Amino acid sequence: MTDAEATKKPAEQPAEPELPLFETNVGGQVMIVAELTDGQLAPVGLELLSMGRELADKLGNPLSCVVIGHNLGDVPNTLGHYGADIVYVADHAELAQYRTMPYKRVMCDLMESLEHPPHIVLMGSTTTGRDLAPRVAAHFLTGLTADVIEMDIGPYEHTNKADPEKVGLYEGCLYAVRPSFGESLKARILGPWKNPQMATARPGVFVPLQPDTNRSFEVKAIPVNLTAEDTALTIRDVVVELNKNVDLTAADVVIAGGYGLADAEGFKLMEELASCFDNAVVGASRKAVDAGWIPYVHQVGQTGKTVRPKLYIACGISGAIQHRVGMSKADTIIAINKDPDAPIFGFADHGIVGDLYQVVPEMIAQLKRQITAA
Amino acid sequence: MTNANFNIYVLIKQVPDTGSKAGVNPDGTIDRARAKRMMNPFDKFALQAALHTKKEYGGTVTAISMGPPPAKEILLEAIEHGADAGVLLSDRRLAASDTLATSYALTKVIEYLNTEKNHPADLIFAGLQTTDGDTAQVGPEIAERLGVMQVTYCEDFSLEGTTLVARRIVEGGHTVVATPLPALVTVANAYTPLAYKSLRGAKKVQYLARTPEVEAEYISVIDLDVVNADPMLAGLKGSPTIVGKTWKIGEVGGSCVVRQGQSVANMVTDVLDATPVDEFLNKKEAVPV
Ligand SMILES: Cc1cc2nc3c(=O)[nH]c(=O)nc-3n(C[C@H](O)[C@H](O)[C@H](O)COP(=O)(O)OP(=O)(O)OC[C@H]3O[C@@H](n4cnc5c(N)ncnc54)[C@H](O)[C@@H]3O)c2cc1C
Ligand SMILES: Nc1ncnc2c1ncn2[C@@H]1O[C@H](COP(=O)(O)O)[C@@H](O)[C@H]1O
Repeated sequence: MTDAEATKKPAEQPAEPELPLFETNVGGQVMIVAELTDGQLAPVGLELLSMGRELADKLGNPLSCVVIGHNLGDVPNTLGHYGADIVYVADHAELAQYRTMPYKRVMCDLMESLEHPPHIVLMGSTTTGRDLAPRVAAHFLTGLTADVIEMDIGPYEHTNKADPEKVGLYEGCLYAVRPSFGESLKARILGPWKNPQMATARPGVFVPLQPDTNRSFEVKAIPVNLTAEDTALTIRDVVVELNKNVDLTAADVVIAGGYGLADAEGFKLMEELASCFDNAVVGASRKAVDAGWIPYVHQVGQTGKTVRPKLYIACGISGAIQHRVGMSKADTIIAINKDPDAPIFGFADHGIVGDLYQVVPEMIAQLKRQITAA
Repeated sequence: MTNANFNIYVLIKQVPDTGSKAGVNPDGTIDRARAKRMMNPFDKFALQAALHTKKEYGGTVTAISMGPPPAKEILLEAIEHGADAGVLLSDRRLAASDTLATSYALTKVIEYLNTEKNHPADLIFAGLQTTDGDTAQVGPEIAERLGVMQVTYCEDFSLEGTTLVARRIVEGGHTVVATPLPALVTVANAYTPLAYKSLRGAKKVQYLARTPEVEAEYISVIDLDVVNADPMLAGLKGSPTIVGKTWKIGEVGGSCVVRQGQSVANMVTDVLDATPVDEFLNKKEAVPV
């Protein structure tokens, strides 16, 4: 408000009292958790390091990275090259595979051993991060924002008088922005009252930094003290359903089939459509994979591959968020679905409402005509 | 193998039905007063898991919900499907709870029921996530507060005595884990869909509707005082997070050109004309016509 405006105010109305100022940044680290899949660094860890670096620099605090596993080899150094100032390493045979309780124990012990609680703790919004982060947040009775797509540091003015002690201006808050209402809105979530301010970040939205082998960083081994209860859950089997023969990620065109195909035979039609294109492969939704119609290597989505083809044709796929995150960056998306309200029509470029068993054969016929005419 | 004593809880939430257009504002926000209500779709998988456990291994199923009074509807729905009883935690002081405050309140309900039944929960099922909160946090936060094991993203499971053997979704495949009970399990939408209502369940609910005194034996509506919860730790006051500002996401839900109701051939031609398919056509190999 300008001075002129202030003087215009009637005299009997007292000026707004100054809000009390709270500094949330007391020097705690920005801490990210790097995840391993099958002993390899998952990309989301490097993405978090780049976001974490930006937040740590804005705050003027160190960026630390925690890696938990067994026989970690050069992984800690890699994390230093990608931006961490401190790399905490928990290396123990009991930690070879992800399990909630042992990993939670390591995280909580580490966080409690620091002089200040971390200012911010970030994990990936993966099946691991979404399992571990709420467990850690509940242990510290702190806030956690899920599935974040943007982050920043900034002030927050809390004016809601329902809770008078909280009213004030908070500096150095984590802005965690997440989609809400079925991806139609973005909401900024804040948790300024308590550190750490925690979030899980959606994989694939932040871009890793270029590695710099000349950076200086510290690698610190952290003690691992597990109880019998911590290790009571055992892993009987780890099924990695990878196969290098289908290269979804390098294809120009992906023809994806979903549960709407109704049976395994339907994928023959997908292959026929794919054969009309150069460098095209067949993809699938998880539901089609789970139904046993096509092997897992073809799965696109959160727990499958992320693809970025020039053309993606989705046949009988509803467009669930877990599928969408794996393909929404395709240049052009064509959706064929008999349900006009299918969510996929919300983000495809071109849609055809109809029975795929009528639409796809027609499409094949027209494409073949174009090919012979060419 | 049957163990008639399993004490099974399932956490279900009533959410606005965004599929029906009623109450959905053009900007995607929801007018909760006008919106239709439904059981969170993910929680139907959790309910199926609870009922399956009861059927295969014995025990009783109590459905637990926190929300305003109409949430009783989904508890009755759970009974129609075969749940034994429902408990609704309803209290104005719960308004604006975030996940930590919600997990506190639901933990207090679980502890209260454990004492009432004189038998702590063996298995607690939760949905993977809600369609309105969409965080997948409430389940694990309750497990942490109760100090029990957890299995999230569960897509299939069985019991070997009191060991839960569960298949959980992970990136690149799945893992099979074995854990002693008690455990909290969040059930993924890859699990078996909820079976139809049972005739017995439906009849029971019809009967309950006619006899409110009996209904009270099956559905209890309780508040924070009953479960001995500290109101400072619930609702807005107990929530460490707050929603700051919101924005519309521009491109979502707008740009798709949908063809409908014309001849299949016309729709296909139209789409192919609008897309640069030409660039990718397989002109190398002869495609059989
Ligand atoms: C942790 C987790 C991870 C997941 N990871 C993935 C993942 O990586 N990838 C993935 O895809 N999913 C994943 N999912 C599952 C996801 O939530 C959906 O369940 C799945 O994507 C749905 O597949 P769908 O679209 O084929 O099936 P449905 O949702 O059943 O949709 C089928 C569609 O076909 C349409 N249809 C039916 N018949 C016809 C016809 N004749 N012609 C035209 N249209 C027709 C219907 O209208 C419907 O829209 C995951 C879920 C979880 C919980
Ligand atoms: N108000 C509630 N009442 C009962 N169960 C709930 C409530 N909120 C969340 N849950 C449970 O926690 C799961 C995850 O919710 P959320 O963390 O909101 O995505 C849901 O699927 C439910 O099983």
